[in-house]
Amino acid sequence: MVKAYDRGFRALDGIDLRIDQGEFVAVTGPSGCGKSTMLHLIAALDTPTSGAVLVDGKDLRSVHDLSAYRRNYVGLVFQLHNLLPNQPVLANVEVVMFGTHRSAHERRARALDLLARVDLAGREHRLPAQLSGGERQRVAIARALANEPKLLLADEPTGSLDSVSARHVLELFQSFHAEGMTVVLVTHDHGIAAAADRIVEMRDGRIIGGVARTGTAATVPAVGPA
Amino acid sequence: MAFGRFLLRGLWAKKARSLGLTFAITFAVMTVVTLEVTSSGLEQSAAAVVTIGKADFTVAQKGVNDLLSSSIDRGELARLRAVPGVQRAIGVLVATERINAANPVFIEIGINPADLAAFGVTVVAGHPFAPTATDQVMLGWRAASNLGLHVGSRFHADGTWNTVTGIYSTGNSFGDSAAMFPLPAVQGYNRLPGTVTLAFVKDDPGVSVHTVTARVDHELPELTTIQTASQFGRADLNLVYLRAAVTGSTILAIVIGAVIVGNTMLLSLFERTRELGLLRAVGWTRRRVVGLLVGESLVLAILGAAVGVGLSFAVTALLERLPALVGILHANYTTSAFIRALATAVGMTILGSLYPSVRAALLVPLRALNYD
Ligand SMILES: Nc1ncnc2c1ncn2[C@@H]1O[C@H](COP(=O)(O)OP(=O)(O)OP(=O)(O)O)[C@@H](O)[C@H]1O
Ligand SMILES: [Mg+2]
Repeated sequence: MVKAYDRGFRALDGIDLRIDQGEFVAVTGPSGCGKSTMLHLIAALDTPTSGAVLVDGKDLRSVHDLSAYRRNYVGLVFQLHNLLPNQPVLANVEVVMFGTHRSAHERRARALDLLARVDLAGREHRLPAQLSGGERQRVAIARALANEPKLLLADEPTGSLDSVSARHVLELFQSFHAEGMTVVLVTHDHGIAAAADRIVEMRDGRIIGGVARTGTAATVPAVGPA
Repeated sequence: MAFGRFLLRGLWAKKARSLGLTFAITFAVMTVVTLEVTSSGLEQSAAAVVTIGKADFTVAQKGVNDLLSSSIDRGELARLRAVPGVQRAIGVLVATERINAANPVFIEIGINPADLAAFGVTVVAGHPFAPTATDQVMLGWRAASNLGLHVGSRFHADGTWNTVTGIYSTGNSFGDSAAMFPLPAVQGYNRLPGTVTLAFVKDDPGVSVHTVTARVDHELPELTTIQTASQFGRADLNLVYLRAAVTGSTILAIVIGAVIVGNTMLLSLFERTRELGLLRAVGWTRRRVVGLLVGESLVLAILGAAVGVGLSFAVTALLERLPALVGILHANYTTSAFIRALATAVGMTILGSLYPSVRAALLVPLRALNYD
């Protein structure tokens, strides 16, 4: 898979990666090597210049309703917090559940539940600006989980956190993984990365390590090769 | 949380922008409603003379600028009376006169006392004037009470001092706010001997109004028939021009309003690109994003319409008190004014949010997210 930006700069220069269902993958590499770019392509926020993203064997280019894919299949935690500044914490989690089968009442109940799970009970009615960096990151995680995604993509969720908070966030990811969720975590932190099933190493738009899974062979492909 | 609350909270968080948009809508609605109610008030007062007399239809001169300058001479009246199906035609001369500051366009009707009953006039006090008297008058009960006059009082009008011989009622507020004089007296004072302004026609029983008006239109092509106040424009060109001016101003107000709404929304779109990109990235459909933007403007539209109508009430009340306009400007609040208010508000916001919404729908999530 290739992603070229303006003037032909290749942020991703021929990557070929397979992630199996239920895997916990950490992606590492120096700044600018294309980690976020790859995550965005998987999340269907952008399209590859050449090659394809296959999800459950299906090419994203042929997916008719990408909004539904983004909403229901993927949970995304951005590198920057990206919360809605004018809406309170609770609404920031509920916002992704509009247009789903859940009623207003159920949306609220689920958001409260998730916020409690990321230790934000009692902070529901604050605005993002009234939270610490770690708390904001946890709101973003709660939001990413709202629609019970099969695939959780997190772009440096611990980047701006101290080691205790980072640990806490990692434990959250581990518990989601234990529940069967496929987790792809971009991180600079080798301690965090070590908790994953596999570490994918990138450099200059290429994958230089961890292409194959070290453990047992996979059965169902989640994200397929280009 | 309901989508509506999410939307309202977004509006509330951006109070300045929301207020700005509401103001634009308010002013457009206020302008449109004020124009509508005052012009329709003018139209109503102008058309009122044809509603005073009880008749199947009214006849006036065709193509005059102002109904009161209509003129039907003796010969025409006689030919009208001879049209088959016309049972009777009552000729009246209508003039206006400034009585005092509160009554700048007081209506004076010249009529033969013999025609009073057929015209729909009931004498409620005193007695009618003599057919050829030049110093006698009957006042409508509203006029009498406004002017503080009663039977036996002296009333200066129609060029002379008159004695009030009676008070009448027509059941029509314009008729009851007027005065009636012997026909020759009004003709003499206005130097229009033998002439009437309007003829009020009663059909023979069993003949359809349509048949008779068709005959009149055919046999007296210089005259025109008016059945309802809304057909009034046939005889009164001023009202046609007034309507056109009101329609033109309404369109202008809507367009200016839409431009302001569109401009504000477009500016806010740049400011909100990140937010909208985020919503798209977490799975909002284009339709929902457009729904949010259009929903926001509709809320403001309804708010602006309500405030605009309220302000228009205040503005019209002020205009009616303006010395230059007292007794001339009457607001006529019709349902159509309220429908126009809502249509203006909704119309201009839909028009104004069209382009920004399309832009928002076409945002590429990632590019919007990284936008700053
Ligand atoms: N919209 C864009 N236009 C042009 N170049 C871009 C664009 N977005 C990213 N790039 C470039 O693509 C490369 C990969 O960017 P990416 O954000 O994927 O890096 P990253 O590995 O996530 O880095 P970091 O660890 O700093 O977040 C970088 O060199 C970046 O400058
Ligand atoms: Mg990055």
